[in-house]
Amino acid sequence: MNEIKIANYTKEEVLMAVKGVHLTFDKPILRDINFAIHNIVRPHIAQGQVVSLIGRSGIGKTQLFKILAGLLVPDSGSVTLGVDQRTVAAGDVGMVTQNYLLFNHRSVKENLKLALRHGLRQLSHAEQEQLIAGFAENFDLTEHLNKYPQQLSGGQRQRASIIQQVLTGHKFILLDEPFSGLDALMIDKVMALLQKISTMDELNTLVIISHDVENALALSDTAYILAREPGKDGSTITETLDLMSMGFAWDPAIRQRVDFQRLVDQIKHKI
Amino acid sequence: MIIVAEVALALGLWQIIGGGGLIPTPFQIVLSTWRILSSPSFADNLFSSLGLTMSGMGISIVLALLISYLSLLPVFAPVARFVVKCRYLTLTGLIFLFTLLTQDGHQLKIGLLVFGIVPFFVTTLLSIIDAINEQEFELCRTLRMNNWQTLFEVIILGRLDQVVEVLRQNFAIAWMMITMVEGLSMSEGGLGTLLIKSNKYIDLSTVFGILVIIFGMGVLFDYLLKNLRVWLFPYSKLQIRK
Repeated sequence: MNEIKIANYTKEEVLMAVKGVHLTFDKPILRDINFAIHNIVRPHIAQGQVVSLIGRSGIGKTQLFKILAGLLVPDSGSVTLGVDQRTVAAGDVGMVTQNYLLFNHRSVKENLKLALRHGLRQLSHAEQEQLIAGFAENFDLTEHLNKYPQQLSGGQRQRASIIQQVLTGHKFILLDEPFSGLDALMIDKVMALLQKISTMDELNTLVIISHDVENALALSDTAYILAREPGKDGSTITETLDLMSMGFAWDPAIRQRVDFQRLVDQIKHKI
Repeated sequence: MIIVAEVALALGLWQIIGGGGLIPTPFQIVLSTWRILSSPSFADNLFSSLGLTMSGMGISIVLALLISYLSLLPVFAPVARFVVKCRYLTLTGLIFLFTLLTQDGHQLKIGLLVFGIVPFFVTTLLSIIDAINEQEFELCRTLRMNNWQTLFEVIILGRLDQVVEVLRQNFAIAWMMITMVEGLSMSEGGLGTLLIKSNKYIDLSTVFGILVIIFGMGVLFDYLLKNLRVWLFPYSKLQIRK
């Protein structure tokens, strides 16, 4: 079954390229980070992709997250985006932080409206209302639209936060530790949510930055392992896992597979 | 319940032990308070003090907000830092300077009140701005807001409820200062003028009566401003609870 899937995709143009990124604060944090995210095309299937950056805590994931979002300028190297490969700037990439940040002084609906107001599309008031209502219904937030963020549960905040970024028109969305602090049931729900977002538009690309090896690998098409090499300061990409060619992508029952669990164990030992 | 019992006990002891001395008893203070409240000039004096405090507070909050928001621009940051340090300047030493700078007693009182309150306002407002999570600014940037939109969303709109809280906290300072500044120009009357005159004639039951009224008004305004915050900004209730 997996072979059939593997045969039916092609990797096309580069969507995001990270070249030679170095970052030093008091000591080297990131060293020579290089990777590229390609557009994956599967005929007749509108599906975006999920890419993971996996590393243990304190390895510099958040700094890399900010660099990818255009919020932090590295000491050297570049992050380029799109077909024209322009340098990433703040606002080019969506961002969902670990604490699912929303504006506390605005209701959920107002937070979403704010995203539309600053978004790429110019919509009338009625169109905005319709779009928000549609997303709210699709993501189980209809009854929470008039609540303030502090009245929401963690899961509801996370959904609202992701929708806010989607409404802004971002095709690239970075998620910092989306599984952190969630119980097993919630993790399944978050994985379903992320899959839903990625399949909404074939251009949607989710980049998950996480230390949760199993869940990140289970959801991803490609995974990059961020770790420190022996005797060297600063973390770098030590391994790239093309989970599609390995036969681990797009399989809902992936976590039950023995070979997948073996891979998870190997990666856990490496990070 | 325990507090009420303890207060009643303390007042009872004061009434029994304090009778015949220089300090008026609670009963004398109550009578005196009632006499002040029912006197025809009370409303004029109260509104004079309230008007002065409100004017002072209004001007102060506008100035303080302006200084605090402008402090985000590097060129204005030293100005804000200097204003913060002005908390340590004593008003008494500046009365003559303010008398020269102002045209009448009312302006003098407003001027001193504003000078006294603004540094405290700015100090609190700057600490609110400092405490803003950097991620809020980053969220604005990912939502493609420019610097002005970010300033409006995060610092102005996002912290408006806290400005009301600052107003509440600093109202106490303004209300305390009112008795001092009203003594500088007594022609407009006011609770401070009443207090100073009563002090002059060592009419202590009237002094204590005025203090009770000043205290009561302060507590009332504290309550009103606290509820105004929740009423205007319902989300602030959630933040306080959290």
